[in-house]
Amino acid sequence: MSKTTDLSIEQGRFRQSMAWLHTWGSLVASWALFSIFLTGTIGVFDDAITHWMTPERALIGEFDPAISTQEQRLSAVTQGENFLRNVAPQSHFWRIRLPSEADPAIGLSWEDDNAEVQQRRLHPVSGELIPDQQQRETQGGHHFVHMHFEFHAGMTGIWLVGFFTMIMLVALVSGIIIHKRIFKDFFTFRSGKGQRSWLDAHNASSVLSLPFQLMIAYSGLVIFVSIYMPAGVLANYDKPQSFFTEVFNQPEHRPETGIEAEVLSLTELFKQGELLMDKPGSFINVEHPGDSSAVAKVFGLFEQEKNNGRLLFLSSGQVIFDAVTGEMIHIEEPETFDKSNAFAAQRIMRTLHFANFGGYTVRWIYFILGMAGTIMMATGAILFMVKRRQKSLNEFGAQTPKVYRAIEVLNISAISGLMVACVAYFWVNRLLPLDVPERASWEIKLFFFIWLGSLLHAALRPASRAWIEQLSLFAALCLLLPILNWLTTGQHLISYFMQGDWLNVGLELTVVLFGVLSVCSIKILKSKQHKAAVQASKLYKTKSEAS
Amino acid sequence: MTLSYPSRIVSLVLAATFGGYLLSSAVMIFIAAILPLSRADAVITSALLSFAVYTAAIIWAFAVKNAQRVWLGLLGATVIIGGLGLLLTEWLR
Repeated sequence: MSKTTDLSIEQGRFRQSMAWLHTWGSLVASWALFSIFLTGTIGVFDDAITHWMTPERALIGEFDPAISTQEQRLSAVTQGENFLRNVAPQSHFWRIRLPSEADPAIGLSWEDDNAEVQQRRLHPVSGELIPDQQQRETQGGHHFVHMHFEFHAGMTGIWLVGFFTMIMLVALVSGIIIHKRIFKDFFTFRSGKGQRSWLDAHNASSVLSLPFQLMIAYSGLVIFVSIYMPAGVLANYDKPQSFFTEVFNQPEHRPETGIEAEVLSLTELFKQGELLMDKPGSFINVEHPGDSSAVAKVFGLFEQEKNNGRLLFLSSGQVIFDAVTGEMIHIEEPETFDKSNAFAAQRIMRTLHFANFGGYTVRWIYFILGMAGTIMMATGAILFMVKRRQKSLNEFGAQTPKVYRAIEVLNISAISGLMVACVAYFWVNRLLPLDVPERASWEIKLFFFIWLGSLLHAALRPASRAWIEQLSLFAALCLLLPILNWLTTGQHLISYFMQGDWLNVGLELTVVLFGVLSVCSIKILKSKQHKAAVQASKLYKTKSEAS
Repeated sequence: MTLSYPSRIVSLVLAATFGGYLLSSAVMIFIAAILPLSRADAVITSALLSFAVYTAAIIWAFAVKNAQRVWLGLLGATVIIGGLGLLLTEWLR
């Protein structure tokens, strides 16, 4: 008998430590994780968002690369090439992206003298620079994707996101351990029971999306595995470059020689590349043009339909040329996968994370499961406070009320504040004048300013008011977005319906739906808050009298 | 476990974070050395597994709770497994 008791005591202790780990680990990471999860969930629709954020696209005309002629494609390369040779002859890197379905203009990027990437767009027919008034320079949906994996902070951001993702993995595992009745609780929701309801909501959203969340956290780490976990490479290779060369099954990057040399006609190389791949190209890169080591890479058109339903994407084709002699260095045949099995495993996890293997059906499933994850994080963070608002656990001695207040403020700005900032980003896109210099980065700066504003607001207002005010602002910004769009661009839901522009219809309806949900939650909050306030003040009174 | 001993908790968190990372790196090197695959494949496979090892190490650290024991356990295992892994890498490759 004593043995079983010992075991159950031991189990109880283990579960207790895991509960501690789950509570505190999750709390300190919850604000960052909520922002990673929310922006990642929105980022599922990055293409649709970019589409909505660039309404001037139609001024240039439509372009379908699948039915373009080689003549059209080659003339686009020539236009881009002429521009780059003129503007950036000494650059280390050129890229010419052909007109695509998403963007009918020619996209050019190059590295300037300060090693910064410059981007311009050219008209696909005239080759003229597209004037500010005909384009809305924006990061579009990529903003959310970049927030999601690097907080717009480069390598530091990638490490931070990796750190928090590890905490998420640990929180999921410790959450499973402390949760004894995983399936029963999935069917349990006790509404109107205060703390108990928050716990039920937290459990239900977690259990519903648990397999998805384990998959998304693990595959997220795997995307950057070579950055996060370099020990194996370092122990086995003299320089990481040789590892990547082996894995990618491609010739090694050629270092610069410093000897000047003229780059051959890119139009001609592009044409040869298409011939060798036997399919249309979509862009061409040149590494250190002007140097005798220059290399040109021609990439084949990515055809999503060919990869729908596949987790291991096939190559869309790539040909590497010596850009000075025109000699072909390497070809990756389209519709093959010529790399190893272990690398294929990594790629498959990557595809699973990116949600681009099954069209919009899969994207919507990811969106809904991602929202379940954000709800899990938000309810978890709120639950922490609800529990302690009713009865302080006094973890920080005399400082406890101050720490609780800080947690509450962070909860508000991390959850409702970020929601406001995300929808405000759409507003900024419509309101910021088109000719502002560095327009795209200003859109993102304003996103951060608005988020920061929500933190100040939460710090200055009582918590219960701050929640409602920020949710109200969020609701208003969501519900009025279609009207703002109509006033600023003249486009609206009905015109989108008429044109069959389902991406824009879907985006605006989804945003409006979130506005409606927010209004509902404000109503619930208000009625609950009234009751809770009365109760809490009673409780507080009796407690302070007792002590 | 309470928050009443901040220094012990900080030490435990650091042990789990850095000790766990070192241990998963060591295990990665060891697995990469013994897997009967090509060098690149063995390295990728062990790297893909390393996050699971890291998670387990962190969970173990918080189950043990005693920072000193956690440091000792994680660093000791790192030295043994990592050392063995490096030796095997030399011998077998």
